[in-house]
Amino acid sequence: MKKILIIEDDKFLRELLGKKLSSLGYNAVLAVDGEEGIEKIKSETPDIVLLDLILPGINGFEVLEKAKKDPAINEVPIIILSNLGQSEDIEKGLRLGAKDFLVKAHFTPQEIVNKIQMFLN
Amino acid sequence: MENLDQEIEKKEQELRKIRSAFLNILEDTEEAKNQAIEERNKTLAIINNFSDGLLVLDNENTVELISPSVEILLKQDEDNILGKSVFKLSSKELNLRPLIDVLKKKKEIYRKEIEIDGNLLLEVSSSSFDFGEKKGTLVIIHDVSRDRLVEKMKTEFVSIAAHQLRTPLSAIKWSLKMILDGDVGKINPEQKDLLEKTYYSNERMIGLINDLLNVTRIEEGRFLYKPEKMQLEGVIVNALQDFEETIKMKKVNVRFEKLKKLLPPVIIDEEKMSLAIHNLLDNALKYTVSEKGEIAISLEEKEDSIIFKIKDNGVGIPKNQHQRIFTKFFRGDNVIRMETEGSGLGLYTTKNIIESHKGKIWFESDEGKGTTFYFSLPYKV
Repeated sequence: MKKILIIEDDKFLRELLGKKLSSLGYNAVLAVDGEEGIEKIKSETPDIVLLDLILPGINGFEVLEKAKKDPAINEVPIIILSNLGQSEDIEKGLRLGAKDFLVKAHFTPQEIVNKIQMFLN
Repeated sequence: MENLDQEIEKKEQELRKIRSAFLNILEDTEEAKNQAIEERNKTLAIINNFSDGLLVLDNENTVELISPSVEILLKQDEDNILGKSVFKLSSKELNLRPLIDVLKKKKEIYRKEIEIDGNLLLEVSSSSFDFGEKKGTLVIIHDVSRDRLVEKMKTEFVSIAAHQLRTPLSAIKWSLKMILDGDVGKINPEQKDLLEKTYYSNERMIGLINDLLNVTRIEEGRFLYKPEKMQLEGVIVNALQDFEETIKMKKVNVRFEKLKKLLPPVIIDEEKMSLAIHNLLDNALKYTVSEKGEIAISLEEKEDSIIFKIKDNGVGIPKNQHQRIFTKFFRGDNVIRMETEGSGLGLYTTKNIIESHKGKIWFESDEGKGTTFYFSLPYKV
């Protein structure tokens, strides 16, 4: 079973996505902020990470930077899933090593799952 | 004797003439001097009241003249500036190094931004002058710290506002979609119909926020983010793909009449150009309702530019509204009732995008018969 880590501070969004993924046979692991996110990338070794950018404490960009600098986890693919979406943010995210940048309001849960499947294959 | 008298008389007359000539010259000189003083006072008054910092350097780069605002901008007294080499300027409170480095590098600078410290951002221009005997450089310093601060605050505000508004809308979108997809159990057709309508209202709201974001960014003037050389055909094909479902649903016949040969590439910001084409295509689809709906997109080459054309046989634009078509929040009288979706920002945004590519946009329209929009993009920008 593929393991997906969702780093998202909004409870409702986190649970919706978790539910969708579980119903499709994924193992969804949840983290509510950047600190917990980093920790779980290490301890849970997920197959893919969905990362929000505006988070309490360390933000998503910092999580991304930390993850990419740590040789133990820098291979884990990270997809940014945020409601930021200006060119500067997208460029920064991709430059820091994110696989893709999805604007939450522009994707349905199914479309997000499709993206995940694409990267897992 | 008589001869001598005559001679004297003659000389005296000559002398008188010379005297009056001298007096004339003297008068002229006096007048010229007064004029020069007046000119000088005028120039000084201009310099003294100039809100920008102004430095006049001689050809050895010694500061000859400054406007009072230089003292305020550089936090330094006149005595420590005048008569010194501009490269040796210093201030206890500020690090003037970045400014000096720029001035050393080039004689002619046009509105170069220099960050002195976190709070002081200067825009510097300089140009050399040569009045024959008098050579030197004129340096103008303009304080843009406040402008930049306001711009930064605005960008941050827009970005945060967009984020804050999008988050609850995402939650609505996701949950509605999951219910509609049957992820949490079966729903009956009536429920489905209602939820679908709610879903599209929510999509509209998301779209509106995007439009507002785009408008704000256009008005910030830095909308062309990534100009690249590419084929316009590709952008059109991608846009058509994005509308595939809508086109199928609307049962409108949409054709892209490609030319046999590939046109030369143009310099465009793909994201923005795609937005412009999306807007035009979206309008054509929205306002072409008949069963025999036809939309044709084509490209044409003019000697120095490429022309994009999108022709529909839709409802058209009433003649008396042709003038206002590109203004912000404009919506045609004939479509407000028919098609409630639309922010009145699409064509405004599109025009701005085309113009920031140094292109032109125009249209032809007959109410009831259809509309054709054109835009041209120059090959050389």
